[in-house]
Amino acid sequence: MNRTLEHILPNVQKPARYTGGEYNAVVKDKQTVKTRFALCFPDTYEIGMSNLGCRILYGLMNERKDVWCERCFAPWGDMEEEMRREGLLLYGLESGDPISDFDIIGFSLGYEMAYSNVLNMLDLAEVPLRSADRPDLTPLVVAGGTCCYNPEPLAPFIDFFSLGEGEEVTLEYIDLYQQAKEEGWSKEEFLREVAKIPGIYVPSLYDVTYHEDGTVAAITPKDEAPATVTKRIVQDMNKSYFPVKTIIPSTEIVHDRVMLELFRGCIRGCRFCQAGYAYRPVRSRDPKLLAEYGKAACEDSGYQEMTLSSLSSTDYPCLMELCDDLLDYCAPRDIGLSLPSLRADTFSMNLMERLQRVRKGGLTFAPEAGTQRLRDAINKNLREEDLLQSCRTAFSGGWSGVKLYFMLGLPTETDEDVLGIADLARKVYFAWRECTPNKARGVRITVSTSWFVPKPHTAFQWDAQIPVEEYQRRVNLLRDALKRDKSITYNWHDPETSYLEAVFSRGDRRLADVLEWAWAHGAKMDSWSEYFDFQRWMDALSACGLDGDFYAHRVREKDEVFPWSVPSVGVSRDFLWRERELCYQSQTTPDCRTRCSGCGANKLLTGGGRCG
Amino acid sequence: MADRLLFSKTGRAKYISHLDLMRTFQRAFARAKIPIKHTEGFNPHPFVSIALPLSVGYSSQCEILEFGLLEGTSYEEVPARLTAAMPEGIVVHQCYPAQRKLKELASLNYIMNFEYPEGRPQAAEPAMRELLGRESLVVQKKSNKSKKGYTEVDLISLIRGWNLECQSDTMTLDAVLSAQNPGLNPELIRAAFCQAYPQFAPDFVTFHRREVLDIEGKPFR
Repeated sequence: MNRTLEHILPNVQKPARYTGGEYNAVVKDKQTVKTRFALCFPDTYEIGMSNLGCRILYGLMNERKDVWCERCFAPWGDMEEEMRREGLLLYGLESGDPISDFDIIGFSLGYEMAYSNVLNMLDLAEVPLRSADRPDLTPLVVAGGTCCYNPEPLAPFIDFFSLGEGEEVTLEYIDLYQQAKEEGWSKEEFLREVAKIPGIYVPSLYDVTYHEDGTVAAITPKDEAPATVTKRIVQDMNKSYFPVKTIIPSTEIVHDRVMLELFRGCIRGCRFCQAGYAYRPVRSRDPKLLAEYGKAACEDSGYQEMTLSSLSSTDYPCLMELCDDLLDYCAPRDIGLSLPSLRADTFSMNLMERLQRVRKGGLTFAPEAGTQRLRDAINKNLREEDLLQSCRTAFSGGWSGVKLYFMLGLPTETDEDVLGIADLARKVYFAWRECTPNKARGVRITVSTSWFVPKPHTAFQWDAQIPVEEYQRRVNLLRDALKRDKSITYNWHDPETSYLEAVFSRGDRRLADVLEWAWAHGAKMDSWSEYFDFQRWMDALSACGLDGDFYAHRVREKDEVFPWSVPSVGVSRDFLWRERELCYQSQTTPDCRTRCSGCGANKLLTGGGRCG
Repeated sequence: MADRLLFSKTGRAKYISHLDLMRTFQRAFARAKIPIKHTEGFNPHPFVSIALPLSVGYSSQCEILEFGLLEGTSYEEVPARLTAAMPEGIVVHQCYPAQRKLKELASLNYIMNFEYPEGRPQAAEPAMRELLGRESLVVQKKSNKSKKGYTEVDLISLIRGWNLECQSDTMTLDAVLSAQNPGLNPELIRAAFCQAYPQFAPDFVTFHRREVLDIEGKPFR
């Protein structure tokens, strides 16, 4: 191990995050590989190691003999301070070598508030922040992940973005890079060529012009770059890579268990949900295959816990069959099986009863809105009676806590909808009184609200986030309504990060300067309250002459050129607009299995184009 | 009585904390398909217990872990199979049924290496000899139990023996320290030295546990 690192580690919290050497970490001889890839996650080790996508890419790349993929995470403040003082550059966990010596530095972007960490990590690696200041082919700085569906605020920093699922495209661009390196291409030549790979978005190949009012006038491709870059998907989930053998951290991480990915996409079509649109079309894995993967992953990892992962597990067609298979394996071995993302219906509750034989902690439901009218408007097809029936089943079965998640500020929301949240919570309380076998034990009902952030590529991409004063008023309205209910606790999300999310998720390239200003003035780890400073971001916006409200609180015209007009998730803009209009009429759209609504995502499927 | 493992923890594994190490062993037994006894109760989990937790950052070649081997695995095959299931830096040397009680574990042999990359001051050696040669050396030790937030410990009474060797850029203290009731963390010796002789404070100190000893000074197993 590096001597400087060894001297630093005794001075920092949780040093095992910074050492590598975990079980199944991949160590190769750097002389025998052609391409070294630094897979960077712009948050702590504990968060980044919990990301299934990163584990897939790590496994996939390292299966190739000529590629060595290493991991790199954002150091916590104490570690950063030591690294800067001792001149230790940001390094790959496997080799300890500085990532500035690698061929490709790839970031996973899942959350806008991690952007400052991207810049900070590049700086800790002594890699120039801006693509234009990195004239050489090596190191390339690339990014993937959900934020890349509008990556504009990061456009000047990242050489290219990879849209959609990375299983195939990552290997394709590595091949092209290897060719470029062997044939001595310039960076410009390489970027022009890589832009021809479907799913690759090279921001420097597009000129953006603005109207006087600040909206985008035009986005003009250069050098034959495509006008639209459509995300990549895996066609057949039964043939795609699954990380059975994966790194087992030696220190506790957030999701410290076997993660079994049932399917991608979601049939529900909730109008606010970016994931619901961005991961279309629905593609399932075979239950037999999943059971095999699950068992093999338990054997290889020694984990005592397994979780099924998807956007809505109840919608997996063979859920019962799979759970029975897995329970036969897990139960005799004391391996716990958990099922997040369940819908609040009776079927799911029966399943929960079977899975959770021992511990009965809390249940979490996300009705999102308090009235049926608003739930219809956002197409959250959850009926109040289903929710209450689920609660009755749960309470009868001995559960004594329910968490209910809502959003405030959804399009068309009225005070009646806000107060509907309090009514619904009270109905849940009465369901408990009616059904609990043990009144003396009491009940905990927690209502949490967040401030709705309209996201790109959703039906609400045209809509405004409500102003902060209005959000606060609605919070107060609900708080007063729930004041007398001693069994109901009300938590509301602090509005500051939601505002910045709203700014950056629908932001344009001009926000890059804001990001750099904020970073230069100390912004990092902005998803952690220890580090987040709202005023710094407001100062950054005004220093760059930009108004955050323009991005967050403005209703867009139907035909406005969005900054995210080039990236496509495969869902047509016309479909999203139709969905928005249906929202304003409080009309629902049936789920994809009941009736295809023609969103366009099935065109991403080759050979037949049927979602499933 | 329980079964025991003798293992070492060096290199990158030095930084795995006590709790994380227990979890690592629980999983490694499962990975190696070595069935071990589980705790009873509502949330059964594989039982493992590590004698005398090692401070994070220290290396050791003599750690002892207690567990219960279930039928089907011989003692001889455990070390190789378990080591193969371990993260880098943890090597299992022996597996055997416990013969004696843990309370018979009396002292620990530590190697402390004081590093002076710019060259060791000549006078550091006599300074250390002077310090360890004192009648008593009372230092304050952090304590959560005491109202004052610290307790006082006499280091000399807890040092069973020591030997000092010097090279051009290092000073190596080979010391046998009381293991329990109370035990002495060698960090306190470093701190006392740096407090008494700040001018000889080393650049860095490494700590290595070399042997666990019984009351007669023989290896404890």
